[in-house]
Amino acid sequence: MRGGAIPILAWGTILLVLCIGNWVWNDKPVSGAAATAAVVIVYAFGVALWVARPESVRRGPPDSPGEPEAVPQVSVAAAAIGLSVGCALFGLVWSEFLLYFGVGTLVASLGRLAIELRSERASRRRALRGTGPR
Amino acid sequence: MSVATAPTAQHTRITGLLAATVSTDHKRMGLTVGACSLFFFLLGGVFALLMRTQLAQPDMRLVSDNSYNQLFTMHGSTMIYLFVTPMAIAMAMYLIPLQIGAVGLSGARLALAGLWTWLCGGLVMQQGWFASGGAGRDGWSSYAPLSNGTNTPGVGQDLWVIGVILAAAGMTVMAACVLATVARRRAPRMSLLRMPVFTWTGLVSVLMVVGAFPILVLALVLLYIDRHGGHIYTGFTGAIDYQDLFWFFGHPVVYVMFFPYLGAAAEAIAVCSHKRWFGYTAFVVSIMAFAALSMSVWSHHMYVTGGVTNQYFAFTSTALLVPAGIEYFDAVGTLVGGSIVLRTSMLFALTFFIQFLIGGLSGIFVASPVLDYQAYGTYIVVAHFHYTLFAGSIFGFFAGVYHWFPKITGAFLRESLGKLQLALMVIGTNLTFFPMFFLGNDGMPRRISRYPTHPGWGTLNLLESIGAGIIALGVLVFLINILVSLRRRVPAGDDPWLGHTLEWATSSPPPPLNFERPLPPIRSYAPLLDLRLEELDRARERREVTSSG
Amino acid sequence: MVPALVSTRSEYDHLFSIYVPIAVGVFLLIAIVVVVTVVVFRRRPVEGAARWHENNLLEGSYALLLACVAAFLLYLTFTAEHRVDTVANRERAAVTVDVTASKWEWTFTYPAYGFAVHSGTVGRQPLVVPAGEPVRFNLTSADVIHSFWIPALRYKHDAIPGSTQVATLLFSGGVFAGQCAEFCGLRHADMIFTVHAVRPAEFVAWAHRQGTGTTP
Repeated sequence: MRGGAIPILAWGTILLVLCIGNWVWNDKPVSGAAATAAVVIVYAFGVALWVARPESVRRGPPDSPGEPEAVPQVSVAAAAIGLSVGCALFGLVWSEFLLYFGVGTLVASLGRLAIELRSERASRRRALRGTGPR
Repeated sequence: MSVATAPTAQHTRITGLLAATVSTDHKRMGLTVGACSLFFFLLGGVFALLMRTQLAQPDMRLVSDNSYNQLFTMHGSTMIYLFVTPMAIAMAMYLIPLQIGAVGLSGARLALAGLWTWLCGGLVMQQGWFASGGAGRDGWSSYAPLSNGTNTPGVGQDLWVIGVILAAAGMTVMAACVLATVARRRAPRMSLLRMPVFTWTGLVSVLMVVGAFPILVLALVLLYIDRHGGHIYTGFTGAIDYQDLFWFFGHPVVYVMFFPYLGAAAEAIAVCSHKRWFGYTAFVVSIMAFAALSMSVWSHHMYVTGGVTNQYFAFTSTALLVPAGIEYFDAVGTLVGGSIVLRTSMLFALTFFIQFLIGGLSGIFVASPVLDYQAYGTYIVVAHFHYTLFAGSIFGFFAGVYHWFPKITGAFLRESLGKLQLALMVIGTNLTFFPMFFLGNDGMPRRISRYPTHPGWGTLNLLESIGAGIIALGVLVFLINILVSLRRRVPAGDDPWLGHTLEWATSSPPPPLNFERPLPPIRSYAPLLDLRLEELDRARERREVTSSG
Repeated sequence: MVPALVSTRSEYDHLFSIYVPIAVGVFLLIAIVVVVTVVVFRRRPVEGAARWHENNLLEGSYALLLACVAAFLLYLTFTAEHRVDTVANRERAAVTVDVTASKWEWTFTYPAYGFAVHSGTVGRQPLVVPAGEPVRFNLTSADVIHSFWIPALRYKHDAIPGSTQVATLLFSGGVFAGQCAEFCGLRHADMIFTVHAVRPAEFVAWAHRQGTGTTP
């Protein structure tokens, strides 16, 4: 975790310099907006990491992680979400039924995802308390 | 490091193909994307062979004009959106957690959702072949206003647009997860400047994906609206805006299609030279600069439009030669003083470096507007990008395959078949793509379904088509190699090549949580090499002590 | 002193004659170095592999050298680009041709003489121009993006709907092929035209003949 945001923020800064060059020399709104958007996205990623863990901007190798991390083995919800989105957008072009079907399964998959995440959180709490996963 | 595994809400026992479908193990996901990408490679290759057959002689009418236009569109789109880019992400997903000593991908569920979104995108795009009027047919770049509802009506083009949106969105999500993994899941003592070379090339690639691919999604969503009644890309400004948005993605993507394969070739070269990669710090700085620059050069695809400041983009594009030169310097620096073994992986890696150079140098050529006024839209450009992407990146890909296949499967690939594959591919690749430079300069534009009789064109095109056939033979040999090597396995141990990085410190194939044994000490970007050298030194000291005592 | 007329062909050839030898030289240098290195260091004992692995001073100097090469190439490029894109369009043109590209033909209108010729899928009327004098082209499109390309002149420029793009070209005497170089749909391959560059007096005579005859 330590230092993880540094390359992202550093790269975002190089992008910013080039973006400014683009605005100055090229001076076109769409072109400049695209470059700015990229800078914003990259910085946002870095800042999100920073906010989540302040040591992500500190230099040096990571120290040993304190808390256990959950490593999911399987996620039916995630696969279903991907498939639903695909189905829905395909249905947008191909057949209205598929569009509604896709949206429906997407909602169901999100529900399933909530269940999976809750189960994972419960397992983690149990592991932290020392009773081990069920 | 303690880990808790999260059982799914319902405890199901799923195995085999179904498990691969829902598994959030980064290795499984990497292999799924990789296998699907390989399938798309073969599909895109079939499209290429059909095109090359049509072009083998002047004025052939093997396929109709409309079919040809679909073929080149789907060849480019399949190769870019469904093979080379996702394969790079697949390699990153598989290898990076291993190389940084992590147990898995950060946001693994999100990555799995992205995987399926991407795969749906591929299938939706190919569905266009079954639409009346055919598949997408306006090139992989699908310029407006050609691709709007008036000029290219029909479901096939719509499916192309939606397919690319899904594929790009899926890849963005997977890349974001890799990025988070590098940020958050490095093993203790694995500082950023101890990450392996391949991990760094993967890192800058996913940075570019995250920064640039959303712009493509936006551009194509707007195109979809434009095709269905919205007046988005209208007039001169609209046409230029589309290109600006498209190429803002379209240039970085070619570097996403380069860096991980450069990283693979670099790993192969270092290991097969028994020397760690030379100039690590300069390399890291140069690829960061290279990737950032690559986000600032895109309008060199628009020099002939009159809608951009050619000079700014000529400046940024030509500047690319500086970091590129550093990378070559590092490759040579790794080789010099090494103990070189010419395994298939090494041969592919060396060929990658030499062949990519032709692509890179021709890139500097077309970076000059006045030279591009001749080269744009012709076979010069086709030659340039096939040298970088095929003669370059794909050879780097094969270097990676021969290098990491034993780790992934626990078995060696046959060296003899590998060298045969290399020979066929080198001959075929250069025979196919080198004459294109001359054809383009002589006046042959790209994306034409047939060409008139013209001195030399028939002969050169025929040679190119023969070359394409030889490439296909090479790919066939590769597929046979995979089959034979998996059927009659020659087991490889954990570390058959004397590797430098952490993936070689676990079993082949790695266990579900990657490392069952404690990690070796991490003191540099080549931890296993450090250990080995330390052992060597200690042995030498012991010999000296016993001989003097 | 009257500055020489800009010839896109000469500008290209001049740049080409510098870029390509440098590229070929770099390629040969690196290819030879790689091959020789591999041959020299093959099958050295593994324990003898060198341990050194960086030299930032050397790399920094190399980067500086590369930057100088880039600067040199950029100087040449900027000079040529300025001539082709700016200086040429300031020249006094002997004749102006309005080029309208459409799917899948070229319409060349001579406003000064009041006629037009067509080439492409509809037939092949030649685009006649005076040799040795600047010819101005006003490029536009009626539908999608096309590109006006004359390979022998080493020059193309897009014809984009909703805009008029200006290009000024200098022809030597002869017959030159022309082709659309931006994919424009079904019959992109057939958007061909031919340029006949003739003596200025001949051109004027031809243009008057076309102007007074029935407009095709």
